[in-house]
Amino acid sequence: MKILSLYQERNTIIHKVDPISKILYIIISITIPIIMPYKIIGLLCMSVSIILLLIAKVFKKVIPLVSFSMIILLSIIIIQGLFNGLNDIPAFHIGNLIFYKEGLLFALEICIRVINILCAFAILVLTTKPSDLIESLVRRGLSPKIGYVLSSVLQIIPQMSSTMATITDAQRSRGMETEGKLRVRIKAFLPLIGPVVMNSLINTRERAMALEVRAFNSKATKTFLNEEQNSSYNKIIKVILIFLLLLAVAWRVLI
Amino acid sequence: MKKIIVENLKYKYPLTNELALKGISFDVEKGEFIGIIGKNLSGKSTLCQALVGLVPHFYKGGYGGKVVVDGLEVSKSEISELSQKVGIVFQNPFTQVTSCKLTVYEEIAFGLENMGISRGEMRERIDNSLKLLGIYKFKDRNPFDLSGGQMQRMAIAGIIAMKPEIIVLDEPTSQLDPRGSEEVFKAIQNLSKEGMTVIMVEHKMEKIAKYSDRIMLLNDGEIVDFDIPQKIFSRGDLDSYGVTAPVFTKICKGLRIKSKVTGLYPITIDEAYDLVVNYIE
Repeated sequence: MKILSLYQERNTIIHKVDPISKILYIIISITIPIIMPYKIIGLLCMSVSIILLLIAKVFKKVIPLVSFSMIILLSIIIIQGLFNGLNDIPAFHIGNLIFYKEGLLFALEICIRVINILCAFAILVLTTKPSDLIESLVRRGLSPKIGYVLSSVLQIIPQMSSTMATITDAQRSRGMETEGKLRVRIKAFLPLIGPVVMNSLINTRERAMALEVRAFNSKATKTFLNEEQNSSYNKIIKVILIFLLLLAVAWRVLI
Repeated sequence: MKKIIVENLKYKYPLTNELALKGISFDVEKGEFIGIIGKNLSGKSTLCQALVGLVPHFYKGGYGGKVVVDGLEVSKSEISELSQKVGIVFQNPFTQVTSCKLTVYEEIAFGLENMGISRGEMRERIDNSLKLLGIYKFKDRNPFDLSGGQMQRMAIAGIIAMKPEIIVLDEPTSQLDPRGSEEVFKAIQNLSKEGMTVIMVEHKMEKIAKYSDRIMLLNDGEIVDFDIPQKIFSRGDLDSYGVTAPVFTKICKGLRIKSKVTGLYPITIDEAYDLVVNYIE
């Protein structure tokens, strides 16, 4: 059964860190370069994220994410290098196109930030089970109903696409053309999507009843089957992260 | 002690003109195993849902009469409150998967988490109910990866883990093979012997005849008869209600072999065997 998630099952220290610490890490590794706008700080944050990804053995999975954003980053480099308003000192030229130093440095800063944000989010997304993340948010006061919607979507969407595949096969076996020219495909779309939508509406009603009778709306305080990962090192991580943030703020205020 | 008291229950679904239940009255003792039979659209499922509060709270619609379940009046109680007294298992196992849990074990825990059961007791109850239904070996699987029959047992286990005093089963064995449904019936019979009150809708007449203490025959939203299985299946007018007697009863009806003690036809293979053998001798 496929689940809509990028989670990678590994057994590393990073996987054992609780989701809230990871969220905190994202926030802080994004805000520190904003508070301290030096390229070296941005570079530092980026390399910390990359090291963490390497420790978690999921760096390979980040490469496609980063290379996807490369298209945008490349266009930023070209546009800033050619047309930034502060452009003064030419760096190099390709044919008639002159790239300027100021624009390229500005583009570099943006690239570092984007890659930094991507890597920080990748730590959370690749090393945390979605269900764990949602559960720890529910523990901290997120409404269980919203939590349910978030986690059920991850399972129901793949479920719907497999229903869709079943219906496609069924309609095909009755002689409907589903492949070929665009016009044929569009004609086939309605009879395929209709049953899927009707089916899921009916299922939703039945599922709502099944949830009701399992005390979903109970006013009792919810308990959790899984113990919270609240070991002391998770606390230490959080304290260090907040300390770093305060340090950055203090530096900004004082200097 | 009366667990369920239903007095003149009338119910009409929203946007319909006809009553789905037309003044039903009966009561059930603690620990009884009640079978409900009747043709499609005779009101079986509606009656089941009226016992757990889905009728009227979930559907709304017109409601009359009174249903008291274990001292709680259904129309004045909330579903979540009722769900701790009475559990229900529906026909379609697929839509009973909560779809927010990744393993069978966590899936069973869903109801218990909502009720606020402590972790230790939760684990104990989950283990028990998984073993009772014979699906302990699948506890780490994804719920959607199970077969229809396994899913159906998981749905039952999810309700049993909540330890209701009454369990309502709406065709719980529709997806199971003969052996699987026999196992489920045995498991439910054990619960019934432990004092749980069981209400079961079922189309497999041989099974329902064998396990029920009393059977309710419904037709068009009304109770035709509510009595011991032998009396129900000895009626001559079963066909007109869209119900057939167990095959053993049919054979003995054909042979006109009745029990000399009760004057009724047999309903299980053992009873039928005894009577036929004695008759020949």
